[in-house]
Amino acid sequence: MRKSFIAENPSVLWFLAALSLFTLTVVLLSEATGTAMISTSFVKTLGKTLCLCLIAIAMDVVWGYCGILSLGHFAFFGIGGYAIGMWLMYARTETIVLESLQNQVIPPTPQEVSDAIGNQIFGVVGSSEFPLIWAFADSLFLQLLMVVLIPGLLALVFGWLAFRSRVTGVYLSILTQAMTLALSLYLFQNDSGLRGNNGLSGLQNIPGFEETSQATISIVFFLASSVALGAGYVFFAWIVTGKMGSVIKGIRDNEARVRFLGYHVESYKLFVFTVTAVISGIAGALYYPQAGIINPGEIAPIASIYLAVWVAIGGRGRLYGAVIGAAFVSLLSSWFTGGGAPDIDLGVYRIQWTDWWLVLLGVSFVAVTLFFPKGIGGLFDYLVRKPS
Amino acid sequence: MALFRGSRPKTPRKLDAMRRFLLAIALCLGALTQAQADDLQQILQVHADEVASPSRRSVGVLLDDLVASGLPQVPRFLEEWAGRTVWQGPDGRFFFGQEDGDQITLTDLDSGETRIEGRGGFTQLRPNGGVRRLIGTALVQYQLEDPDISRRESAVAAIARRPAADQLAPLVASIEGEPDDTLRARKTQLATFLSARFADTPQERIAAIDSLAQDTTVEARSVLNQILQTEAGVAASEPDGNIARLLNPMEAPDEYYAQLVEAGFAPAQTGPAVIRAALEAHIRDGTAGGVPLAQLGTDAARERAYAALSKEGLVPPLVTVETRDYALNAYVFYELYDEPNAEITAAAEAALASAEQRVAFAQAADLALDGLSLASIYFLAAIGLAITFGVMGVINMAHGEFIMMGAYTGYVVQLFVPDYTLSIIIALPLAFAVTFGAGVTMERLVIRHLYHRPLETLLATFGISIALQQLAKNIFGTQARPLTSPGWLDGAWVISDVIQISYIRIAIFVLALIFLALILFVLKRTRLGLEVRAVTQNPGMAASMGINPDRINMLTFGLGSGIAGIAGVAIGLYAKVTSEMGADYIVQSFMTVVVGGVGNVWGTLAGASLIGFLQKGIEWLNPSNTLAAQTYMILFIILFIQFRPKGIVALKGRAAAD
Amino acid sequence: MKLKFYSMATAALLGSTAMAAADCADPIKVGVLHSLSGTMAISETTLKDTMLMLIEKQNEKGGVLGCQIESVVVDPASDWPLFAEKARELLTVHEVDVIFGNWTSVSRKSVLPVIEELNGLLFYPVQYEGEESSRNVFYTGAAPNQQAIPAVDYFLEELGVEKFALLGTDYVYPRTTNNILEQYLKDNGIAADDIFVNYTPFGHSDWATIVADVVALGEDGKQVGVISTINGDANIGFYKELAAAGVSADDIPVVAFSVGEEELSGLDTSNLVGHLAAWNYFQSAETDANAEFIAAWKEFAGEDRVTNDPMEAHYIGFNMWVNAVTEAGTTDVDAVRSAMYGQEFPNLTGGTAVMLPNHHLAKPVLIGEITADGQFDIISKTEEVPGDAWTDFLPASKVLTSDWKELGCGMYNTETNTCVQLTSNY
Repeated sequence: MRKSFIAENPSVLWFLAALSLFTLTVVLLSEATGTAMISTSFVKTLGKTLCLCLIAIAMDVVWGYCGILSLGHFAFFGIGGYAIGMWLMYARTETIVLESLQNQVIPPTPQEVSDAIGNQIFGVVGSSEFPLIWAFADSLFLQLLMVVLIPGLLALVFGWLAFRSRVTGVYLSILTQAMTLALSLYLFQNDSGLRGNNGLSGLQNIPGFEETSQATISIVFFLASSVALGAGYVFFAWIVTGKMGSVIKGIRDNEARVRFLGYHVESYKLFVFTVTAVISGIAGALYYPQAGIINPGEIAPIASIYLAVWVAIGGRGRLYGAVIGAAFVSLLSSWFTGGGAPDIDLGVYRIQWTDWWLVLLGVSFVAVTLFFPKGIGGLFDYLVRKPS
Repeated sequence: MALFRGSRPKTPRKLDAMRRFLLAIALCLGALTQAQADDLQQILQVHADEVASPSRRSVGVLLDDLVASGLPQVPRFLEEWAGRTVWQGPDGRFFFGQEDGDQITLTDLDSGETRIEGRGGFTQLRPNGGVRRLIGTALVQYQLEDPDISRRESAVAAIARRPAADQLAPLVASIEGEPDDTLRARKTQLATFLSARFADTPQERIAAIDSLAQDTTVEARSVLNQILQTEAGVAASEPDGNIARLLNPMEAPDEYYAQLVEAGFAPAQTGPAVIRAALEAHIRDGTAGGVPLAQLGTDAARERAYAALSKEGLVPPLVTVETRDYALNAYVFYELYDEPNAEITAAAEAALASAEQRVAFAQAADLALDGLSLASIYFLAAIGLAITFGVMGVINMAHGEFIMMGAYTGYVVQLFVPDYTLSIIIALPLAFAVTFGAGVTMERLVIRHLYHRPLETLLATFGISIALQQLAKNIFGTQARPLTSPGWLDGAWVISDVIQISYIRIAIFVLALIFLALILFVLKRTRLGLEVRAVTQNPGMAASMGINPDRINMLTFGLGSGIAGIAGVAIGLYAKVTSEMGADYIVQSFMTVVVGGVGNVWGTLAGASLIGFLQKGIEWLNPSNTLAAQTYMILFIILFIQFRPKGIVALKGRAAAD
Repeated sequence: MKLKFYSMATAALLGSTAMAAADCADPIKVGVLHSLSGTMAISETTLKDTMLMLIEKQNEKGGVLGCQIESVVVDPASDWPLFAEKARELLTVHEVDVIFGNWTSVSRKSVLPVIEELNGLLFYPVQYEGEESSRNVFYTGAAPNQQAIPAVDYFLEELGVEKFALLGTDYVYPRTTNNILEQYLKDNGIAADDIFVNYTPFGHSDWATIVADVVALGEDGKQVGVISTINGDANIGFYKELAAAGVSADDIPVVAFSVGEEELSGLDTSNLVGHLAAWNYFQSAETDANAEFIAAWKEFAGEDRVTNDPMEAHYIGFNMWVNAVTEAGTTDVDAVRSAMYGQEFPNLTGGTAVMLPNHHLAKPVLIGEITADGQFDIISKTEEVPGDAWTDFLPASKVLTSDWKELGCGMYNTETNTCVQLTSNY
C-alpha cells in the first residue's frame, strides 16, 4: 500500500508553511506594502536568494538524488535570464524609440523603427544589426517559451549525447563544466549577438510599468519568486517520491544494478537532467529582472561550482537542505563581502572580512565535506528525529 | 627620369629654397659678428622652434640645412639630439647636457666648454620616434664608414627603415671596406633591396629583383610590394600606362558605384535617408509628392512619392538598380602600376609569387611551431594532473593553485636573489619543494579521507582552491607580480623572418620533454613507479605484498603537485604571475587529461598536442577572434568525449574500470 | 604641526563633533563605489584610497558648507549586478549626496538605471568608449576623442604610420573605440586592407601568433603601428612576447590606452622603452600641483605607490564637486548639477579642466614614451580637448549631441531637432 504524497514528504508542509510565513513577513515589512522596515534593495536581495534556492533544489535533485554532479546548471539559469532579458530590453527600447519617432513629420517605416531599436540596443557594442536570435524578442509569450524551451532542448541534446555514451562520474562533471565554459566564452564575444561582455542591462525596468516604483516591482518579483520556489519544491518532492524516486535514488547508489533490473537508466537520467535544467531556466528568468543585468560572467564555471557548494553545505539528498545551503551561504557571503561583518583586531594583525571571507568559506567547505557530509540539513534531521 | 618616380613624398621645394636663402643671410650676418666656431648654434637658432619641438613633417628643412652646412659638430649634435641629451637654456640657446640630480652639466655645442648650473629653467629636448628616424637617416652619411661598429650598425638600420634612392651609391661604396662579416652581408643585402627599387638601368633592377625571389624576409617582400604599388581608377575607356589589372564592378556594385559618383561620372545613389530628406523638404499641404504624409510609412509609398517629385523636376531622378548597372558597365575600372616599366613589374610579380609560395610554407611551419609550443605549455600545466588525476584518480581542483604557488615562489626568490639566472636555478627546485610539501599536506589532511568518494574530493579541493587563491591575494596583492627571465632566455630563435620562436617557449618545450621522460622513467623503471602502479590497480593486494599504500599515495600526490609548482615557474616566466593564473589553466588541464585518456602519460601528451594544434588551427582560420577559437575548441572536446569517452589513448581491460 | 593634528583628529571623529554642528544636522556623505575584491580590485582599490585621501584633505580644510564630509565605502566585489544593488543601497539606505565610483563600462551600465531612477549623482573617472551622456553622471575620464583620436593623429602625423593593427580585449571599450578608429582611419585615407583588427579574451597569455601576424603586416613596405586596447593582465604576456620577438618601438611602435604607471609596475620595462601610451595624465608631468599631489599620495598610501590617470580624474572631479556644492550652497543634486557646468579646476599637468554641458571635461591629451624605470616620458601635449559624448566618426552618432544646460537632453538629434531619450542607453 502506497503512502500518500504528504505522508511520505512531511517536509513539504513544513516548508510551505515556513515559506509563506517568511514571504508574509517580508511583504509586511517592505517599503511598498508595509512599514518600510526592509529596504527595496534588501527585498531584491531576498527575492534573488529565493531564485537561487530554486536552482539549488534543482541541483539537489540532479546531484543529491540522481548522483549526477552537474557543474553546468548555471548555464541553464543564465539562458533563462538571457531569454527574458531579450524581451525586456527589446520592449523597453521599442517604447523609447517609438516615442522619439512620434513627433517626426513623416511616419517611420518598419525598417526605420527596427534600425533605430537595433542601434539603441547594439550601439553600445558598436553594431546596429539585429542578429537572428532576436527574431522573437518582440513577443513576451515566445520569449517566455524560450525560457523553458532552450534550456530544455540544450539539456536534452547534451544529456542524450553524454548518457548514451555512458559518460559518468567525474567525466560527466568535467564535461558539463566544459559546456558552461564554452557557453560563457561564446557569449563573451561581442559578435555573439547578445552584447558580449556588456550583457543585457536595465532589466529591472519592466516595459509597460514605467511609472510603477521599484519598491512595488521588487515586491511583485519577490512574491513571484516565492510562489515559484514553493511550486518547484512540491514538484521536485513529487518527482523524488514514489516509484520514479526510488529508481532515481537507485541510479545514484548503483547504476549498474538498476540497469540489470531492466530499467532504462539513460531515460531516467535524461529526464531528471532536462527537467532540472528547465526549472533552472525559470529560476534565472525570475532572478535577472531583479538583479538588473545579466552578462556572460554569470555563467562562468565558478558559478556552477558554487551551486554545488551550497547544496553540499546545505546537505544533499534533502530538498530543504539545498534551500538552507543556498540561502545561508549566499546571504552570509553578501553580509561578509558587503562589509557587514565587523573587523577583528588581533593587535598585530587586523582581520578584514572582505579579505578573509573566501578563505573562511573555502576552509569551512573542506570541513563540511570531511566531517559533516550531511551538511546543515543533516543537523536539522538530527534535531527533528532525535528520538529515533 | 620617370624611372625614379618613387613613393617618396614630394618635399615643399619652394619653402626649402626660401629657408636656405634666409639661412644664408643669417650665416652671413653671423659671420660678421661672431667667431666661425659658433656656427652650429647659429644654424639652430634660425630654426629654434623646430629644434625645441620638432615634427616629422617639418624637421626635414632643418636637417637639410645642418647637413648642408658641412660642420664637423653636426654628427655629434644629431646623435645627442636623438639620444635626448640636448637641452635648451632659458635664453633659448642649446647645449649638450648631463643631468645630475638638481644640477646639470652643460657643454657648449661649438666650443665644447663645460659648466655646471642648476636645472631650473633648462628643458630637455625630446624628439619623438618619427623625428628620430629622420635624424637616423640624416646621420647615415656620417656613420656608414665610421670606425665604431655600433655607429655603422645604426646607419644600416636607418637605411633599412627608410630606404631612399640617394643612399644606394654610398652604401655600395661602403661594402668594400666593411671589416665585419655580418655587417658586410647585411649591407650587401640592403644594397640589393635598394638597387631593385632605385638602380639606374632596368637591367640592373630586374637582376636585383630576380635575386629576391629566393628571399622570404619581410623586407624583401616589402621591396617587391613597393615596386608593385598600384593606384585604382575609373575612366570611360582603358587608360595608357602599365595596367596591373582590370576590375569587374559587378563584384561589389555599390562600392564601385560610389567610385563613379566620387569621380563625378554618375549621380549619387538615392538611399532611404536621401529619399526621406527629399520628401521632408517638399511637403505641401500635408502631402509630399502627392502622397499624404500619414501614408508614407512604407518604402514603396516613399519611392512612389519620390518618383512623383522627380517627375516635377524637384529632385534628381531615382537611381535604380538598372541605372546603376548601366552606368557601371559604361566605365572601365582598373588598377595602374606606379612603376611605368612593364618588364620590371612583370619580374617583380614573378619574384613575389615565388617568394610568397615559400612564405606560405614557412607560415605553415611557424603555425606548427606555435602549436607545438602551446601544446607543450598545456602539457606542462597538465602533467601534474596526469599523475594525481590520471594515475591516482584524485580530482584536484587546487592543481591550478599549485601552479600559482610555484610562480609566486619564483617571484619571492627573485626578491632575494637579484641575479636572474641564479634565481631561476634556485626557484625551480624550491618551487618543487614548496608544492610537494603543500601536496603532501593536503593529501594527509584531506584527500586521504576521501579516496572512495571522488566527487567529494572535487568539492573539498575546490574549497582549498578558493582559500589558497584568496590567501595569495591577501599576501601578494591583486597586482600582477614580475617574474623576469634571465637575459639568455630573452629574444627569439629566428629561423627566418616568418619562422621564429622565443627562447622562453623553447625552454618550456624542453622542460616539458624532460618531465615526460622523468615521469615515464619514474613510473616504468623505478621501485616507486612499480609500487604506484600496484597501489592504483589493487591497493588491497599491494598492501598484502608489503607495500605501504598510504606512503605511496602521499609520495605520488606530492610528485604530481611538485611538478605543478615547476610548471608554475615556467608559465610565470612567459606570461604573468597573478593569484588567478591557476584558474586559467585548471579547466584546460582537466580537459587535456580527459581527452588524452586517463591513466596514461602518453595520453596526456596526445591530449595536449591535440588541443594545442587544434586551437592554433582554428585561430588560423579566424585570426581576428581568438575567443571564438577557444569556444569552438571546447565544443570540439565535448563532442570528442561523447564519441570517445575514454580519450585518445584508452586503457583496455580491468585497469580501465571506473 | 599642531594644527594639522587637530584637524586630523576632527576628521577622525567625523560628524559627531563637527565644528559647525548647527548647520550639519544632515551630514554630507560621499559614497565610494569601487570594487575592493574580485578581478577589478587591482585597479579600483587605488581609486578608493584616492577618494579617502581627497576627503581627508578636504576635511582638513574645513569640509564643505561648514560640514565635515563623511565617506561611505561599499564593496561591489567586481560583480556587475552587485554594483546596481550597492548603488541603490548608497542612495536609499545611506542617503549619500554623491557617488564616486566604477571602472568598467559594464559596471557603469549596471548602475545607470538605478542612479537615473533615484536621481543620484555619479562621478566616473575612467577613460571609456563614449556614446553616452546621462543626466546623473559626470564623466571625468577621457572620451575617445580625448585619447584615441589624438593618439592616432600622432601615429599618422608624427610617426608616419601607414598600416594599423588594432589589438584589443574583447569587450565594449575596445570594440567601440576600434569601430570609431577604423572609420577615422578610413576618413584619413587608410585603406580597409591596411587595418588589422584582433580581439582576445581577458587575461590572454598566448601572444606568439598575434605578434608574428603584426610583424608580417610590414611585408608591403608600409610603416606598421599597433594601437592597443588590451586590458589588464593580458598586457604582461603581450609586452613580453613583443620584447622576445625583438620588436622595437623604432620598427613597430605600440600605443596603449589601458596601460599606465600601475600596469607597468608588473613588468620589466627595459625592453619596452619607446613604446607609447596616451592619457590625460602621467606621473612624470612636471608641475607644482602634481609634485604636491604625488607627495600627498605617497604619504597617504606608501612610498612605492604610483599615481595614474583615473586618480587625476577623481582629483579634478572631487574638487569640482566641492566647488559646485559651495557655489550652490546645497548638496541637492539638481542644484549641484547646474553649478557644475562651466566649473573650472587646474589640471595636475598644467592648464585648466572645464566641465562642459555634455557632462564631459575639456582636458589636454598627453602622449608618453615608456622609460626603463616604468614611467613615461611626455613627448606630446595638446591643448585642452573638449570631450565629445557622441563621436563624430560613426554615422549613427554623428547627428547626436548632448547638452544638459541649454537643451536639457543627453541624446539630441540635431537633424530632426528632437530629444531621442532622457534616460540613457543601457
